[in-house]
Amino acid sequence: MRNGLLNSLVAAAVSAVLIVAASPAFGQEPPAGGPPGRGAAGRGGRGGRGPALPPPGPVPRAADGHPNMSGYWNAGNNGGAVFEVQKHPIARPGFGAGNGAIVDPPDGMIPYQPWAAEKAKDNFEHHLADEPELHCYMSGLPNQMYRQFGFQILQPAGYVAMNWEFMHSYRIIPTDNRPHALPASTKLFQGDSVGHWEDDTLVVDTTNLNDRTWLDSAGNVHTDQMHVVERFTMVNDRTINYEATMEDPKAFTKPWKIAFPLNRNMQPNYEQMEFACIEGNQDTEHYLESAGGKVKGK
Amino acid sequence: MRDRLAGLLLAAVVALAPIPAKAQAYTAPRTVDGQPDLQGIWQVRSSPDKDLEKAKGLIVEPKNGKIPYQPAALAQKKQNEKNSASADPLNKCYMPGVPRLNLLAYPLQIFQTADEVAIAYEYIHNWRNVYLKRNKHLEAIDFWQGDSIGHWEGDTLVVDVADLNDQTWFDKAGDFHSDALHVTERYTRTGPDTLRYEATIEDPKTFTMPWKISVDLHRSTQPNARLLEYECHYLADLAAAKKATK
Repeated sequence: MRNGLLNSLVAAAVSAVLIVAASPAFGQEPPAGGPPGRGAAGRGGRGGRGPALPPPGPVPRAADGHPNMSGYWNAGNNGGAVFEVQKHPIARPGFGAGNGAIVDPPDGMIPYQPWAAEKAKDNFEHHLADEPELHCYMSGLPNQMYRQFGFQILQPAGYVAMNWEFMHSYRIIPTDNRPHALPASTKLFQGDSVGHWEDDTLVVDTTNLNDRTWLDSAGNVHTDQMHVVERFTMVNDRTINYEATMEDPKAFTKPWKIAFPLNRNMQPNYEQMEFACIEGNQDTEHYLESAGGKVKGK
Repeated sequence: MRDRLAGLLLAAVVALAPIPAKAQAYTAPRTVDGQPDLQGIWQVRSSPDKDLEKAKGLIVEPKNGKIPYQPAALAQKKQNEKNSASADPLNKCYMPGVPRLNLLAYPLQIFQTADEVAIAYEYIHNWRNVYLKRNKHLEAIDFWQGDSIGHWEGDTLVVDVADLNDQTWFDKAGDFHSDALHVTERYTRTGPDTLRYEATIEDPKTFTMPWKISVDLHRSTQPNARLLEYECHYLADLAAAKKATK
């Protein structure tokens, strides 16, 4: 049963046991042709176990001729973006070193305005128990795209819908060329996404994001002025190249961009399980009071 | 407008009819896979969540409109009702279970592919997958939302829901069940903007016989309609923080 207990284990995996996650085994590419499996990174993670697969096939097509991305996927980010999306070359307690996922600017760092850099530092040093996911809030963008446990894409006519095992978060992306129709004052955890196809690339434009989500577990921030443009380019039957560009005139000095592949979960008959989150949630109880949690300091 | 009115009249007739009226007058459009198309954003017009037994015409079997509790279970239900404010799982923002999820005052959106039907809920971003290509339930495991496998009977999507846990209620009035709960749902388009939802509820540990509800879900016909977010636990956190700073 995916319940509070498992969730606590997840919290442990995400926090206390980060050293394991940041070890070389986690960061390695799976063997060539090896499937994402249920390996050390968790269910739906990338274990690299299982029989060798045939080489990738052509991009499958939906009835409307667009690439058919239906199926189960895992974020193929090897830089530990879920822990910190920007480059984090020096290991810190609970957070191993990693390259994150930023490809622009070339230094791999979020181009923060000074106040936002300070806020992120303060989050990391004093408020890790305020991580929105520990309170079962949906992850927002782009964080949602590199959260653990993988996700499913459904592609009925006129929509691309994504649902994650983790906290049953979902995104619904209409692809019928509709405009953003919400008033600017309506703010959502997952924002308002509209998509359209440019050749074989699904381009998704997201506005109306709230400022309650973090960019990662390390406390990196944005404001409710963030605008995200994502590009999903399917290159073969098991790989989607994913890119996202973030703009936020209140938090960043310029736009920045992340990129990583989404890898198909090749396990036959795979299904996601139910992930109860708030039901019995004890996540913040694993954190020291000094980090906003409930564990008494030493 | 005329369709709308006709739909309303039909809904009214259906709600009053003790036996579900034949819906064959309407043939649902087809998806690209040839299935009856149930897709759209749907919601009950008036949520019966306060008390299923008091929602007029909702319980169609048994005929008296009462949930057929075993004696001990009835005592428990009354106790639950008394403690509803603190004991209702929904007041802790827990997953509502089936069929309660479909009866709340929040919209849901149905998606269909050849292999499955998925239902996204505005209420705490719940999500259900109804598997059309699997014919056996998972074993030795239970879920808040159960394990849903579906098949088509004519134009009706029939969903068999098992593996439900005993942690959810049916409504605010303390109506409850055990982990032996088994729900059979039927989704039938009855008009361009109406979706009949029926659920037969069995639980030999709690009820003396199966009972059944029937209600119409109505389509959101607004252009560019979309689900928003009702993040119950986030709102609860906000309220608690506000209280703490007072």
